[in-house]
Amino acid sequence: MCSMVVSTVRGSRFRLSLVRRVLLLVVIGLFLLQFFKLKVLVGGLSGSIAVSFVKFLDVFAYLESLIASGDFTTDALLAVVPIAGIYLIFGRAFCGWICPMDFLYELVGRIRNPLRRIIILPPAVGYIIAVSLLLLSALLGAPLFTKYLSHLTNFFRLITGGVFLALDLPVEASVVFYSASVLVALLILEFFFPRLWCRVLCPVGKTYGLFNKASLLALRFEKAPCAGCSLCNQQCYMGVKIEENTDRPGLRDLNCIYCNRCAEGCATKGGLVSMKLRWWK
Amino acid sequence: MPLSRRELIHCAGVTGIAALAAGIAIVPDGLWAAKEGSMGPLPDVPVGGLIRPPGALPEREFRSKCISCGTCVNVCHVMGYDAIALAGLSDLRNFGTPYIKDMRDFPCGLCMECPGACPTGALRKVEKEKVLMGMALIDFGLCFGWNGDVCLSCSKACPLGAKVFEFFYGEWGNQPYINESCVGCGLCVKYCPLGGSAIKVVKRERYRELRGPYLEDFRKLQSMQNEERYQVVYGSNLPEIMARGRLVEREYR
Repeated sequence: MCSMVVSTVRGSRFRLSLVRRVLLLVVIGLFLLQFFKLKVLVGGLSGSIAVSFVKFLDVFAYLESLIASGDFTTDALLAVVPIAGIYLIFGRAFCGWICPMDFLYELVGRIRNPLRRIIILPPAVGYIIAVSLLLLSALLGAPLFTKYLSHLTNFFRLITGGVFLALDLPVEASVVFYSASVLVALLILEFFFPRLWCRVLCPVGKTYGLFNKASLLALRFEKAPCAGCSLCNQQCYMGVKIEENTDRPGLRDLNCIYCNRCAEGCATKGGLVSMKLRWWK
Repeated sequence: MPLSRRELIHCAGVTGIAALAAGIAIVPDGLWAAKEGSMGPLPDVPVGGLIRPPGALPEREFRSKCISCGTCVNVCHVMGYDAIALAGLSDLRNFGTPYIKDMRDFPCGLCMECPGACPTGALRKVEKEKVLMGMALIDFGLCFGWNGDVCLSCSKACPLGAKVFEFFYGEWGNQPYINESCVGCGLCVKYCPLGGSAIKVVKRERYRELRGPYLEDFRKLQSMQNEERYQVVYGSNLPEIMARGRLVEREYR
């Protein structure tokens, strides 16, 4: 489907970035319906239930919950399977298409800041952080990241808490306060160190990054000649080395979030780089 | 002077962050304010922890499984009960885990939607009758039924009805007693007409410790002779009930 979209788009001024934002709005909108007493998508991006039937559970949240409790349940497995299935097809597209922080970070990126610095760290650092979070969860007997630090949990805790505060329903104001603080801290981090969270720190993204290695969706390169202008690398805020790989048929980078900015930025206008769903390598 | 696009975005960003900061500064005002006094029933009896939503695993396992995703909170809101809230910073170990915050106004309706919705398995599907959220205790000193009246409000509110409530009709009212098949949903707490309610729900673990003294109180009151009981009812209980009665207007919402 995606390759079809991209091919119709090729050469026109149509921006897939816009589609990404529309999808994000739709997903957040579906979640907001729960405050109008509609059971379309109830919960948050860490865990939710759709139309009282299909449960969704974030993969890293599942791992944390599993390791912290040391107890396997089919409930949780049934909830994580649909999510794992979706991202076995679309890879780390969650980060670029669904995660609300991607949009908030883009807004923060538009504020001028002379002190902004891009920090490059080896990809292993992120996985070391993710694994240590898992080990700490096991040690503390609680899902450490998802319960306390997660941008997704805190984003939806803030929304629910805010609505409940406004409607004078039972809610602990300290939860709303805490979640707002975490989000503000993440935005401040982004203000000084662009995408440090996404590229290195966030274990949710790191987990979905592993899906990139097996997903149907991947970056593909045509045999059109690359001029070596490096526009694609400049467009990529996840630090993926695209230009260096254009001689290969495709690229499966752990940090690629399929935002399509490289394809849009490419001087060949989608002729060289594109995202495609394919069964083969 | 017209602003350039970049300046405009800059201004918007700064305003946004300022608004967020202001919002955060306002929140803590309400944060610690809404603490209820000791006007509730059985003031000397601690609840013994957080009253969990129905179907919750034992505390330790529950804490290790729950990821604080808020699905139960929102399902409860959709069902119109709004009973579940996430625990705050005062208890770091339980932070972010769901509990029934305010039984006096928002008790659990036992609709049994949240155990079916929980994606982590921290809440498990159970039958309504087998839920063990807590145990409701009647404050015999405050209950109308134990002080010369026939009230029945709690038993009418109870989703399990006759299975849970026993009545001892006598000279001093139609005295209700909640037996151990109570699941602890708290509907009786809400519908008790006394200001601040005469019923308190405690954790099951806590009830096991309380059981002895509580039953002793119950038997002592029942075996009291006329003059003695008169003194208890008119001497101490009724003045207290009258004082709390004045709170009714504030309590009902």
